[in-house]
Amino acid sequence: MDFVWGGMLFLSLTVGVLTGQGGVVADAMLAGAGEAVRLCIDLCGAFMLWMGLMNVAEEAGMIRRLSALLQPVTARLFPASAKAAAPITLNLAANFFGMGSAATPFGLEAMAAMQENNPKPDTATADMCLFLCLNASAVELLPTGVLALRASCGSADVYAIVVPTFLASLLCAAAAVLGCWLGRRWSRRTG
Amino acid sequence: MMLSFLLYGMVKGEDIYGAFARGAGKAFPLIARILPYMAAMMMAISGFRACGAMDFLNARLAPLASALRFPRELVPLFLLRPFSGSAGMALLADVYETAGVDAFPSFAASVMLGSSETIFYTIALYFGAVGVKKTRYTLPAALFSMLAGAAASVWLSALYYK
Repeated sequence: MDFVWGGMLFLSLTVGVLTGQGGVVADAMLAGAGEAVRLCIDLCGAFMLWMGLMNVAEEAGMIRRLSALLQPVTARLFPASAKAAAPITLNLAANFFGMGSAATPFGLEAMAAMQENNPKPDTATADMCLFLCLNASAVELLPTGVLALRASCGSADVYAIVVPTFLASLLCAAAAVLGCWLGRRWSRRTG
Repeated sequence: MMLSFLLYGMVKGEDIYGAFARGAGKAFPLIARILPYMAAMMMAISGFRACGAMDFLNARLAPLASALRFPRELVPLFLLRPFSGSAGMALLADVYETAGVDAFPSFAASVMLGSSETIFYTIALYFGAVGVKKTRYTLPAALFSMLAGAAASVWLSALYYK
């Protein structure tokens, strides 16, 4: 992450200075940071709603029972994360039904649960890598945003993209699992 | 989903009002913890887009894309999508406008956008929240899956487009 982030900043600043647009780049950075603050405030409401509800389910024992129920499935994909089974599933389910605002707090909860069993807290575990890659591949039943845009632009068949989108995201998820498996093998070999 | 959580709590005779407040109370510290990571990431993304490196990459990649029979309208979308969700939607609207909503590039662009995610943002957010700094192979694996997703999108679009 250090490398990626540093590289992006270095590249944009150098290119900006070379093309005489250093000021534009600096302004854009400032705007980006401001946007993050606004986004966090927007997110805060959604987080409160979902974390509150999740805590109701947690204290009532629903999360624990759900975890136990889902254990056999998640244990295969995430062998070291028994405690995170419920939030992982809830996160993937929220993504699946296109509820992005609910997916994030569940995802963060899952990360926190996985972090508890992490022997090296500053390094990602294999389960975390896979979890993130699955999140990044976004298996979604209904891409609501895209459908809305198609409808507003007057498409003749708004829903024509649903099946290919779903299949493409499945292939994407399969590639994510494969990529993580390769990454794990590679990192084991290099130590 | 919301209802089932609430009903379960009520049936169990829990103090649901207090439980909700306790859970919601954890939201603000969490936001405060992830804000610096989000700010760092969005600052870098915003600067990166403004400096023109994107246009440069775009111009270089266009011939390669046509050689691979990858619709060239999709190249900017492919480049920006991992960084920003709103930029992805804006570019999609752009493709719709220039190519026509029901043209093939628009179809493929819809599929590609629907089957991908804002990888950099997600990684920064999730790892930032728990304080993991060494992300190991997460990014390469995610980028690999994105590449596979883009190829699959174009291929499946060609199959399904009428």
